[in-house]
Amino acid sequence: MAELLETSIPKFAAGCRWGGTIESPVVLFPEGAIRVEGTGRIILELCDGHFSLAEIVQKLEKQFMLAPKGKIRADVLTFLEQLHAKRIIDF
Amino acid sequence: MTQYSHPLALIAEITHRCPLHCVYCSNPLELTSRQEELATADWLHVFREAAALGVLHLHLTGGEPLARPDLADMIAGARQSRLYTNLITSGIGLSRERLAQLVESGLDHIQLSFQDSSEDHANWIAGARAHAHKLELAGCIREHRIAFTTNLVVHRQNIDHLEEMIAALEALHPDRMEIAHAQYYGWALQNRSVLLPTRAQLDRAVTVVAAAEERLRGKVRIDMVVPDYHARFPKACMGGWGRQLLLIDPAGRALPCHAAGVIPGMRFDSVREHTLDWIWQNSEAFQKFRGEEWMPEPCRSCDRRKEDFGGCRCQAFLLTGDASATDPVCELAPLHHRIEDAVREDATPGSAPEPREAPFHVLQQEMAGFWSYRTDPK
Repeated sequence: MAELLETSIPKFAAGCRWGGTIESPVVLFPEGAIRVEGTGRIILELCDGHFSLAEIVQKLEKQFMLAPKGKIRADVLTFLEQLHAKRIIDF
Repeated sequence: MTQYSHPLALIAEITHRCPLHCVYCSNPLELTSRQEELATADWLHVFREAAALGVLHLHLTGGEPLARPDLADMIAGARQSRLYTNLITSGIGLSRERLAQLVESGLDHIQLSFQDSSEDHANWIAGARAHAHKLELAGCIREHRIAFTTNLVVHRQNIDHLEEMIAALEALHPDRMEIAHAQYYGWALQNRSVLLPTRAQLDRAVTVVAAAEERLRGKVRIDMVVPDYHARFPKACMGGWGRQLLLIDPAGRALPCHAAGVIPGMRFDSVREHTLDWIWQNSEAFQKFRGEEWMPEPCRSCDRRKEDFGGCRCQAFLLTGDASATDPVCELAPLHHRIEDAVREDATPGSAPEPREAPFHVLQQEMAGFWSYRTDPK
């Protein structure tokens, strides 16, 4: 599996996109959909092809200043790697 | 009145016409004719209603959906209704230009079928010269930013080539591979004695797929559907009767699954006469096996009923004559021996010529009389 680097730019894989409604958005992909809420939604909204992993982590650290050091980075990595294995996120 | 949670996906069999004649086709033996097909405007209306009902995914299938000249309009309409649109196709009837038009109309995902690794073998299973075109088309698909799935239906005539098939499909760079063992309904049931793999073949296939999954992780997502005849417990057919999916046939009849038409005495309401919402909530066919009221023992008191919903109603009918019986795949089913008998009789090398490499027309002559190709509707 490709490695997610600080400079990698995570984005939706081909054929994966937002759907549902603004109040209740879902990520649509072949044969499935996931409802994303809270932090997951914030992370995926940053996966628009404009930000590197380092920049995404930085933005989240600013937003969640009280989180223990390193936790946000670890959470983002796990989340994106899971979605990469499902072929929803590419980088 | 009980309100049922909304369906998540709509399977639209927009036509039963098809240039291929695959021996494992899941379409019913009685196919709908062109004259009976719904018009474009009817389908667009159905898509709007489906989206309003909460459906997220639309699967355009057939027959061969490309046989409909208005396919691009349907995709555009589906996209306008905010549906995620998947085209399930053999690729016959798709040129580079038409593909670009479908993508422009909003197609999200294309699922291209393959029959085998070698051209002669693949064409023989499909009963048509289709393989070379599919390979060429795969290159065109990759020029677009849509999801690309290759679908391979596995059975005794191709299962021993699985490793070569996966390698050949990998070279086409799909995002996803569906490796689906034939399910025995429609034409596949008719041809079961030449299609059902042996237990040893299945075990080898499972190992091959597991190795491919490991090797391709992060590159290609592999989804496998196993043949339930060799399973201990039944599949949760369609995610449970009338729970997640609904299918509209070419004439507009709403069915809870592909094969439900085989169950005698069922009345399928049409989108020509009713709204989709009404059908989902009230149609007799959708009510029939919802929930647990209909369940016999051992299902009724079994913990697994929440997982498999009693298995497949059509299979129960086809193998026991009673659509309310426990799916005979289940080892706890009183009529489980029907499955064991089928495996003993059909999954036996020697019951038909064994697969071998030979030109398309030679293979076709050899197998004449052992299997029937899917015909085209009148």
